[in-house]
Amino acid sequence: MNGCNDTPRRGKKLLTTVIVCACLMLAAESAPAQTPAEESPQELAALLAEQSSSLAGELRRIQREIAALRADLDKPGIQEVFGGIGYIFGLFGTAAFVASRRRDPKPKE
Amino acid sequence: MHISDGVLPISVTVGGYAASAAIAAWSAHRTRSEELPKVAVVTAAFFVASLIQVPFGPTSVHLLIPGLAGALLGASAFLAIGLGLLLQSMLFQFGGLTALGANALMMGVPALLCGVFFQRFKGRTRRRQAIIGGLAGALGTALAALVLALLLATGGEDFFGVAKIALAAHVPVVVIEGLVSAFTIGFLAKVKPALLEPAFVQSEKAAPCLR
Repeated sequence: MNGCNDTPRRGKKLLTTVIVCACLMLAAESAPAQTPAEESPQELAALLAEQSSSLAGELRRIQREIAALRADLDKPGIQEVFGGIGYIFGLFGTAAFVASRRRDPKPKE
Repeated sequence: MHISDGVLPISVTVGGYAASAAIAAWSAHRTRSEELPKVAVVTAAFFVASLIQVPFGPTSVHLLIPGLAGALLGASAFLAIGLGLLLQSMLFQFGGLTALGANALMMGVPALLCGVFFQRFKGRTRRRQAIIGGLAGALGTALAALVLALLLATGGEDFFGVAKIALAAHVPVVVIEGLVSAFTIGFLAKVKPALLEPAFVQSEKAAPCLR
């Protein structure tokens, strides 16, 4: 941010402050309307830093949650387990059926 | 202990498929139709056993029961393990489909060896059968770790380094599998000893060396 330490550029400083405040209010509506003229840039910077740190914490939490969800998705569920067991018994049942058909005709004839 | 896609070189992948297809065909040929229900049950047990996670440090390893399957099924074990691995890789995303042949070799060959070991050394008494079964169960996993190291060594890894890591990571599994196999075989010897007589001893009169 420019113009923090120069008194002659007061107008520019004020303009910057107003723009930053507007951005802040747009970005986070939780921040109540603060009188822009009375905020010093240092306070604003502190406010920004605080908000960004809280946002970063929130983001980290959400990322962790997503990672946990993905790990859960990777784990096979009960459906896969029973589906696989069903496949196995079905395949072996079919094999046994075919084998019995192949063997059956002899004693009948 | 499943090999993922893209770990092994192409030649080993193709060779693994060819070798395991040949052994699976032999295994299917040796499977009698009366044995099919038993093979199915052991296959299902093998398929589900991989879901039993054993926490080990930061990671966790899961149960693989090649030794138990080999001891119970004999020659049919390779078929059972191949099918179980196919379904595991399709449904659980354990190991890649392209590495299926190598995975089947990794689990199936130790299973066959354990089957021979168990049939050769199981005595008449229940106690001895349980002990030999437990040894076979432990041996199966240890051999599988060695085959894994052998397969990875073809991809340029250092054999002894991988073997050491694979064996160290599976020490708890080896112990647990030994106990599980000993318990299972001891129980079966009590309630249904006929299950411990795999077909490849009974049906093949041409294999007297196994007796």
